[in-house]
Amino acid sequence: MAHSLEPRLAAYIATRMPGASEVVVSSLERISGGASRETYRFLLLWTEGAKPRQRRLILRRDPPASLIDTERRVEFEAYRAFRNTAVPVPEMLWLEEGHDALDHPFFIAEEITGFQAGPAALFAAADVVLRHVAERKWTILGTIARADPAPLAAIVPAPALDQCWHRELDHWAALIDRDADQPLPITQAAIRWLRANPPPPAQRLSIVHGDYRTGNFLYDAAGDIHGILDWEMAHLGDPLEDLGWSLQPVWTFGRQGLAGGLCPPASAIAIWERASGLKADPSALHWWTLFNCIKGQGIWVGSAAAFNSGGNRAPIMIYPAWWLINAQERAMLQVMGRL
Amino acid sequence: MTPPIPAVLAELAALMIRNAAPGVPDGERANALGLTASLLAIAAETWDAAAHNLVVENRGLRALIGDTGQDDNLRLSALQAENNRLREALIALHARAEADVDEPLQARIWAELIAATERRRVTTAPV
Repeated sequence: MAHSLEPRLAAYIATRMPGASEVVVSSLERISGGASRETYRFLLLWTEGAKPRQRRLILRRDPPASLIDTERRVEFEAYRAFRNTAVPVPEMLWLEEGHDALDHPFFIAEEITGFQAGPAALFAAADVVLRHVAERKWTILGTIARADPAPLAAIVPAPALDQCWHRELDHWAALIDRDADQPLPITQAAIRWLRANPPPPAQRLSIVHGDYRTGNFLYDAAGDIHGILDWEMAHLGDPLEDLGWSLQPVWTFGRQGLAGGLCPPASAIAIWERASGLKADPSALHWWTLFNCIKGQGIWVGSAAAFNSGGNRAPIMIYPAWWLINAQERAMLQVMGRL
Repeated sequence: MTPPIPAVLAELAALMIRNAAPGVPDGERANALGLTASLLAIAAETWDAAAHNLVVENRGLRALIGDTGQDDNLRLSALQAENNRLREALIALHARAEADVDEPLQARIWAELIAATERRRVTTAPV
């Protein structure tokens, strides 16, 4: 049975491809995950110049309520900023910010096929493969850190270097205050500590991916990385923010002592410093790692709030809350040296 | 635990009914069933000790904040509401202990908080 979105999606794409006829969408299916956007893969078939053509594409559509509330234009432009650079990203095709075509805003992109993203399969690989993934992962992150932030500066705020930390902490602490339906004493203690012990100003203003972790890139069996995904939290800020997110303990996936479940944190930091040309001051990085525990908590309590409010009853909204709210507090204890 | 287990189980029941119907794409059905299984496993692990853990935690919190109450209503929703009240009071006490540099009290609070995260820990959780 064809998915009900297929004919509507085909009708939309036909308006964007004036040289095409017989535009058909088939094999549309929702991809697992996708808590902040509904993500579907599909096959586009069309005729152009009397020749039949086809291409595998991705649809990313806003859900009714999300665990994070972000602008899809920022995500779209962040991908475009790194197209044809050393940061591998899929090609962005069309952005639709209206609600008429598919009920919610969405964008359509190239599907990078033939690779995996799941951490579980990755961790089953040989150590030499994991080391190669780690080398690529933090080299690419260093490349993002040193990239020109101008492409995003036109559409997102550019904070002063000494205000990057303040803006992010205020944002996520406010979301926790808004969304948490149960008091979080460890989270609140960590927020008090972060406010009392701010980091030094950012070394430079960088594009921050915002969710750079194992699970958000496509890899092959040899450990090469072919796509950096999930840019929906991209913004401008301190490049140490991304490094801290990649090091925060929940992204070990239980492989304690290994950054991203891949390599010792010191190795990840050394790779990032080499690729970015920046320094990861230990006390500043400690601040950003603990901050990222707060950011994570903001996302997990936001997912619970989206479910509890009735805005989004999908099971993907429950899982992060049940699996990670307490784990995130334990991660804070670890980072603060109390566990 | 949030969202509350009864609300989640009701939602999962409805989800399973929808996925039992014909015409659901295989990938979407597999995704829904996989997530459902993971959530049921967490509920199963948590369910038996849920009331006990809240009673123990509430007792520890009352000792710290000097509250003389007790848990008479053992429904999970009532225990959770009381836990929320006590943890809110603990946050205020913790902030005061930091401002007063009362290190012995801070140490007792941290010990209670660490024990609470151990009780709440899900075996599959990453930390």
